[in-house]
Amino acid sequence: MTVMASTPTVRKVSVPKTWDTRMWQFMRWSGVLLIPLAWGHILIKDVVIGVHDIDLEYVRREWATWYSFWRIYDAALLAFAFAHGMNGLRHVANDFIHNENTKRVVSWAILILWLVISVIGATAIVGGVSK
Amino acid sequence: MKIHLKIKRFNPEKDSKPWWGEYEVDVEPTDRVLDALHQVKWFQDGTFNLRRSCAHGVCGSDAVRINGQNKLACKVLMQDVVKKDGDTITVEPILGLKVIKDLIVDMEPFFAHYRSVMPFFVNDEPAPADGRERLQSIVDRERYDQGTKCILCAACTTSCPSFWSNDEYVGPASIVQAHRFIFDSRDRAAAERLEVLNQQMGVWRCRTAFNCTNACPREIPITQLIGEVKQALATGEIK
Repeated sequence: MTVMASTPTVRKVSVPKTWDTRMWQFMRWSGVLLIPLAWGHILIKDVVIGVHDIDLEYVRREWATWYSFWRIYDAALLAFAFAHGMNGLRHVANDFIHNENTKRVVSWAILILWLVISVIGATAIVGGVSK
Repeated sequence: MKIHLKIKRFNPEKDSKPWWGEYEVDVEPTDRVLDALHQVKWFQDGTFNLRRSCAHGVCGSDAVRINGQNKLACKVLMQDVVKKDGDTITVEPILGLKVIKDLIVDMEPFFAHYRSVMPFFVNDEPAPADGRERLQSIVDRERYDQGTKCILCAACTTSCPSFWSNDEYVGPASIVQAHRFIFDSRDRAAAERLEVLNQQMGVWRCRTAFNCTNACPREIPITQLIGEVKQALATGEIK
């Protein structure tokens, strides 16, 4: 008899995923990934190497070693950290903007800014540093 | 002991902005803040207004901000907010809802959000053959037990920074009420409720600030319940 069951009933529910559902999931996963990515970046660049010793030559040498590992690392950092931050900014903007039109304009502006900066960053990572 | 009570007063018919009313009140350490407010209302200034009904932490009508934290005035003892003679207590209306007068706020926007999540049992299937109640297991009943404790005092919703910045947010109290029915194995309208909450102004507006959990006078783990609703939306499973 069901009244004697020892675990809660599990039910499936079908609710179409919205943009915000997916962005919430992205924020969770990118947040988890950012822990090693951002901390690794800070430890290496700010503590081990030091910001004053980082120049284009350093970046060229770094990207040329380990079969592009550092390029992938930097690309992942760009993809997850920047998108995570920009989506956070969209949330903050939506908290304080109450007019629907303004909200839409600001959301699009954030998306375009994210896209432009990401493309510039990706171009630099893919293009590399010329000697 | 004698305490100094500062109450945020506002009468929209007379005042252009809120002001602090200051009162000296004799209290016992075991008195409640509500008793001190009654002293002001009954013996010092009859124009002061507050909302309260049962005065025993059940009806949820006297949620106010005491020393900057949302509490029920009828549940907070003096000894928990003042230590010695002359100490000051500040009492303000809860934030994010329009002040009607003094400590009384307009609760209608709060209840509009509450109604939006269908806070009632839905099941159109035929009743059991014996004509009695729909039985469920003890664990199924426990699954939504926390949500049943809510007294709709609005202490959680009006402590939420997301609600302060945008009152279109459905708010923690409504999500708790939705949780109570979504996780009830006998209910059949979980999908409809989840659809209401699956919007930017639904559960996704929650930033897990935990203010709601701290503010709840019934000690409901509200942020956890909101997380469970998010999980149900993300996984498509109610468990």
